[in-house]
Amino acid sequence: MPPDIAGDLSRPDDTDTELFEHAPCGYLTTTPDGIITRVNRTFEKWTGHRREAIVGTPFMDLLTTSGQLFHETRYAMVLRLAGEVREVALNVECADGTELPILVNAIAVLGDDGEPVSIRTAVFDATERQDYERQLLAARREAEASEARVRVLQDATSAFGAAESAASLALALAESARVALRATTAAVLLAEPDGDLALAAGEEETPALLDAGLRGLAHHAIESGEIVAITSLDQARSIVPGLDDALHERRLAALTIAPLRTSTESFGVILCFFGRDRASDPETRDMQAALARQAAQILRRIRLQGELEHRALHDQLTGLANRKLLGERLEASIATAARSGRPLSLVFLDLDGFKAINDDLGHRVGDQVLVEVAGRLRSVARGGDLPARYGGDEFVVICDDADASAGAVIAERFRSEVRRPLTSVPARYTIAASIGVVTWVPRSGDAVSADRLVRVADEAMYSSKHGGRDRVTSVTL
Amino acid sequence: MTTSPPASDLGVLRRNNVSVTGDAAARPIVFAHGFGCSKEMWNVVAPQFEADHRVVLFDAVGAGSSDLSAYDPAKYDSLHGYADDLLEILDTLDLRDVVFVGHSVAAMVGVLAATHDPSRFGALVLVGPSPRYVAEEGYPGTFQQADIDGLLDALDANYLGWSATMAPLIMGNLDRPELGEKLTESFCSVDPGIARHFARVTFLSDNRRDLAGVRTPTLVLQCSEDAIAPTPVGRYVHEQIAGSRFVQLSATGHCPNLSAPDELVEEIRAFLG
Repeated sequence: MPPDIAGDLSRPDDTDTELFEHAPCGYLTTTPDGIITRVNRTFEKWTGHRREAIVGTPFMDLLTTSGQLFHETRYAMVLRLAGEVREVALNVECADGTELPILVNAIAVLGDDGEPVSIRTAVFDATERQDYERQLLAARREAEASEARVRVLQDATSAFGAAESAASLALALAESARVALRATTAAVLLAEPDGDLALAAGEEETPALLDAGLRGLAHHAIESGEIVAITSLDQARSIVPGLDDALHERRLAALTIAPLRTSTESFGVILCFFGRDRASDPETRDMQAALARQAAQILRRIRLQGELEHRALHDQLTGLANRKLLGERLEASIATAARSGRPLSLVFLDLDGFKAINDDLGHRVGDQVLVEVAGRLRSVARGGDLPARYGGDEFVVICDDADASAGAVIAERFRSEVRRPLTSVPARYTIAASIGVVTWVPRSGDAVSADRLVRVADEAMYSSKHGGRDRVTSVTL
Repeated sequence: MTTSPPASDLGVLRRNNVSVTGDAAARPIVFAHGFGCSKEMWNVVAPQFEADHRVVLFDAVGAGSSDLSAYDPAKYDSLHGYADDLLEILDTLDLRDVVFVGHSVAAMVGVLAATHDPSRFGALVLVGPSPRYVAEEGYPGTFQQADIDGLLDALDANYLGWSATMAPLIMGNLDRPELGEKLTESFCSVDPGIARHFARVTFLSDNRRDLAGVRTPTLVLQCSEDAIAPTPVGRYVHEQIAGSRFVQLSATGHCPNLSAPDELVEEIRAFLG
């Protein structure tokens, strides 16, 4: 061995004590319960804690509060079970109040009976590593969060896009929101024509919770256009006394309500319920707002489509079914009657005296009369009957499940209703209806076309007209 | 309420890595572990009941050898999700007059299960329970929101550190297949992502209102110098559960099942009589 190395080994700073005290890592020994029995100078130097002050106290007391949480929920358990821990990251609170990030290796020293007699702990300064990792983690979190947001919204887009009705959209929205917000349960409420909110999908307990105080909050969300959040039961109680109990009974503790609206229209709300206190953080709000916005746009599309479809199948002036819808429904009624063997009646009305009103008073007044007549037909038709405007001053009503006598009774109701004085024209103008009724009684293997039924009813109407108007002619096939 | 389809019996037992030992004909005792560990934390205590009890151990979903694919973040966003799992385990094994021993947050899971469906419970033993960890006026909680955030940082630093998971991430291995293997290798293994969520659920829940609904005979076991669940919190739990018994252990720290197993066993036995 070269003399210089041998000389090194004998230098005074290489005694065991010096090696221990000034090792390039902090070192401490504790009892199995974590009470410090020895520390080296390096540890004193790094933390500013003097050994007189910390020997005899728990190692855990040197940690930050969050470090203590980790120590107690994991570090101590793993150390006890496995006999060692490696590279655990903790934060020490230094004597001057600053925090020192450390990496810790610890090993239990076992006695003859296999029980630990002490714990040896090596401590490394992890300041640089921690800064580096923190930055990486922060970047990663952000990337993951935005990826998750994009994924949720993409999934929602395809789920929403497939929705063909408000009901199926509501179902997709409730599920998307539940998953995206990690909600225990979710619900979609859609506004009825009268402004009431009705459950369209999701949590069945929602109506009961509306009665317990949520209704006002839901309307507030709709009117303000803002997300309403209740983050705890205490807050629920302070806003609506009793709402806290209603939630707690159902194992819920917090909720958010987001309005479903576009810049011009409002459709309802999406509610998310949580089983624990949930602070209303910006990410959650953004996510819910984005889902709500997307859903509202689809609801708008569905509503417009519905309006277009309605327009395509209804007479714009009177709102009754138009000839196209009449044709479709009549085919369906014939098929149903053929299957069930039950009779089907078709009533054909033509107004008498209408031409004079139109000629004398103008088309606008004529239109008003048509609207008034349509309203009367609607009001005296049976629940399932379909009144339609066939063209000009002609109307047709499909009466499912009506035999010849029922058809005659219904037609008679129409006749007397049309005769009543009109509100939109002077009293000297009166109108009446020439009516033809055809009743089809299906027998097995029997078939009839929609055209034929309409034609026969039309012919019966002409019989009434030729017979002196204001009367009913019935035909049975 | 939204309900999941009934899991098959085998599904429940596999999902929660349930093990049953001891005397099959004797009174059942179920041990539940808290945040940060797995059923291994009962390694010293549980065997001491095998001679005269049917001993049931399980891993919460996300911990130990539980089925990680069963982790539904919405379900487990509150302790009720864990309570439902516990009830399913009791149903599947058809246990009656159960002695439930829950440590830390699992104590509250037991409280939620026993208030939701008391029929299967005979006794609750709450070891270091806390219905709320964050301090509030008039309530002796110990932590501030910032401490919980700090714990999440600590979890990140320890589970998601450079050496463990950063390298594969940067190399493009986003689904981290190595974790599945790693989980079963070490003691008290937990999935990092789930641990993070479970930490939030554990430390940000407020289940104080649920204590008053407990009708099952209850023992509160309180450690000395417990930084997680200090004595005033244990006393609070005792005061809120009518007829409960409070015992101050001489054991220190938060884990008497490891630091003072004999004292713990003794007190449980004394309570059961």
